[in-house]
Amino acid sequence: MNEWIYLTFAEPLTHVYFQKALLGGSLIAAVCGVIGCFVILRRMAFLGDALSHAMLAGISSGYLFMQLVFGIRAHAGSMLIGAVIAAVVTVGLVGFVSRVSRLKEDTSIGIMYTGVFAAGGVLVSLFADQIHIDLLHFFMGNVLAVADTDLWVAAIVCSSVLSLILLFFRPLQLTTFDPLMAASIGIPIVAVDYLLTICTSFVVVSGVSMVGVVLVVGLLITPAASAYLLCDRLSRMLVLAGVFGVTSVLGGLYLAQWINVAGGSAIVLFCTVQFLGVLAVAPRYGLLAEWLRIRNRVPQQTVEKVLRALLREQEQSIHVTAQQVQELVDAPGEEVRKALKQMHKKELVETEEQNVRLTAEGLHEARRILRAHRLWETYLDHVGMPSNELHSHAEILQHVHDEDAVDYLDSKLGHPLYDPHGSEIPEDFVHLVPGNEVKLSLLREGYWATVQHLPELLEVQPLQIGMRFRVGPRQENPPQWTLQLSEEQEIVLDRKQADAIRVRVEESDQSTPAPSSEKES
Amino acid sequence: MQTIMNEQNSVPAIEVEHLTVSYGPTPALLDVSFSIEAGQLVGVIGPNGSGKSTLIKSILGFQKADFGKVKIFGESADKAIGKVAYVPQRGAVDWDFPITVLEVAMMGRYGQLSWWRDPSKKDRQIAMNALEMVRMTDFAHRQIGQLSGGQQQRVFMARAMAQGAEILLLDEPFAGVDAATERAILDVLYRTKVSGKTLVVVHHDLATAAEYFDQLILLKQRLYGIGTPQAVLHPELLSEVYEGKLKSFQDLIPDETEKQAQRRKISQTEQSTKSASGRHRDDTVGPRLSADQLRPMGGEA
Repeated sequence: MNEWIYLTFAEPLTHVYFQKALLGGSLIAAVCGVIGCFVILRRMAFLGDALSHAMLAGISSGYLFMQLVFGIRAHAGSMLIGAVIAAVVTVGLVGFVSRVSRLKEDTSIGIMYTGVFAAGGVLVSLFADQIHIDLLHFFMGNVLAVADTDLWVAAIVCSSVLSLILLFFRPLQLTTFDPLMAASIGIPIVAVDYLLTICTSFVVVSGVSMVGVVLVVGLLITPAASAYLLCDRLSRMLVLAGVFGVTSVLGGLYLAQWINVAGGSAIVLFCTVQFLGVLAVAPRYGLLAEWLRIRNRVPQQTVEKVLRALLREQEQSIHVTAQQVQELVDAPGEEVRKALKQMHKKELVETEEQNVRLTAEGLHEARRILRAHRLWETYLDHVGMPSNELHSHAEILQHVHDEDAVDYLDSKLGHPLYDPHGSEIPEDFVHLVPGNEVKLSLLREGYWATVQHLPELLEVQPLQIGMRFRVGPRQENPPQWTLQLSEEQEIVLDRKQADAIRVRVEESDQSTPAPSSEKES
Repeated sequence: MQTIMNEQNSVPAIEVEHLTVSYGPTPALLDVSFSIEAGQLVGVIGPNGSGKSTLIKSILGFQKADFGKVKIFGESADKAIGKVAYVPQRGAVDWDFPITVLEVAMMGRYGQLSWWRDPSKKDRQIAMNALEMVRMTDFAHRQIGQLSGGQQQRVFMARAMAQGAEILLLDEPFAGVDAATERAILDVLYRTKVSGKTLVVVHHDLATAAEYFDQLILLKQRLYGIGTPQAVLHPELLSEVYEGKLKSFQDLIPDETEKQAQRRKISQTEQSTKSASGRHRDDTVGPRLSADQLRPMGGEA
């Protein structure tokens, strides 16, 4: 057993090529991940692809230049510089084409990078006897044959790019997030853009020798994308993307060792699987989380039914347990259980010695829904629905309990007191708060109020602004409001008048006129 | 000394002189001149493509002008960088960006920070105070995509305040928010104004323009009007700018009494300290319309 572990995990580490691959690969993958964060947040993923391909022209020109001018073959430094120049030129051309033409940026990227890539291809075949570039290597990379120079290049690129990002974190963050604001405080956004592009070019160029031109894009964006799904802060995303890059190399290299496949492919494959794993289980933006959210979603209708049931019981001072609530509410027991759980979380209900009761907030919510329900019933009756269907339809419609909608119903129906079944509709307790200015028509018997606004054309002598009165009993059919101005003086208003007058509400002297409209705290 | 003080007080917050900007043969702005006093809440109105965002960029100091200049407190706009804060349109922001509310507010401090130095405790405090002012401290560690529309707008207001800028430019702050949110944003605008800042707001809804702003700028390449809403929302002027595409211009002119009542309410709640510069409205021109007549136009535009 121990031997197996040794052979599987430790033995590969004894090989120098594996050590070099691990070191070089990790350096490159880490910096790829970090810079990839900016690449995906700026929606430049396609540009990464372009940069890596454009290199071919740069590498061959660099090779050719040193070969023809100095007679040095395969000079690594010049090839690297050539590649970076080619990448920057490509970016410049892309910018130029999208600026001067009506083409969008992705189109100009597609045009320019294939063009520069093709130029490289032509160069390679034209000078086939001078240039000895292994095209297969260029496409596939060879992480398991990393040379010492590659390691140096990787180390220098990695350390310098990471330092630059660390130093210029704020300008990079701000230009990525809000370029206009960045410009307004004097950050040179074009310079920052070029800095980022050049860094990306360096990173991509040094990545190509490890995993090849196609797969380097995967190393650039996949770890960053995985981190994006997990982080709500850019600084953490950068760190995590770097870590994901390193784990991809680690996992990929072992994979390559065990099943004996190409290192570059194994790394990127591992990276992709890692991403899929994150996508599945990410706590907030993952698929599993989304599925759980959908599964745990409680139909609003059930919550409303529970609220109303609890209100009904509470008004008769009956204590109910969670079990009894399930029996009272006409909905699947599981759903009611979940609804109660959710309501606990929102502090709409509280449990006291096994008994479930509404909190002050829950009571408020329940009364709002009851009011909406009864107004909807009244409305449906008003538009001619048979009375045996009223309840079930109102049950569905009561979820429209938005303040404005309910106020509309109330005012359209003439502020009714009772629903078609004869139950009292709770008053508009949201607006009827002492000190508020409301339409007089909202007031019910027992309220005291002062006149605030009185349209001139209304003939309601002797009512005047500033006059204090008590509301007397309401007449129905047609609705009439009685105002008691003093012991012996009363006036009666019709609906139009009551709607037009605005008053400041004071306390009501009927604290509990009917069971269903008990005063709140 | 006294004269210098006086001179500084009389320098307008924003002064635009003969500004012409073009992106080709048609000018985006043509010979635009105006000045805005400090402490005003100014609305910029005009049809689509009328040069509103070009004007914003010019005031921010990074739009190259063909001719003319913009001065911020008497100083050339490209030198006054940082004195003007920009609040972007909601649609222009990537709400999935991995960034928290506090981090956005902290961005307001970036202009003052040297690039090698981390934000200090004081910067943090300024950012928190700015969040406090827009009542967003409870959400400081939320990712910005998890906020409601009005909250999102407020975060960017906080960022502008943390910048310490004297002038705030807002690009359509009321676009795509519901009526209650609009009120909440407006409340923040008034509070900012009362604290002495100058606000320039690009606005689309003519129906509310008169009610919200002290002054209006009517723009369509050229400057068609600047001044009180009564003066600018002139039926003939509007029909010229909007080419008769609006049904009724009469309704746009506000009932002065209602507006004043609203103003009183706000100054009561905010205990205005700066009253000297802003209040100069005794011009009760325009037909009187009741609130109910104004409302139907005020729907979602």
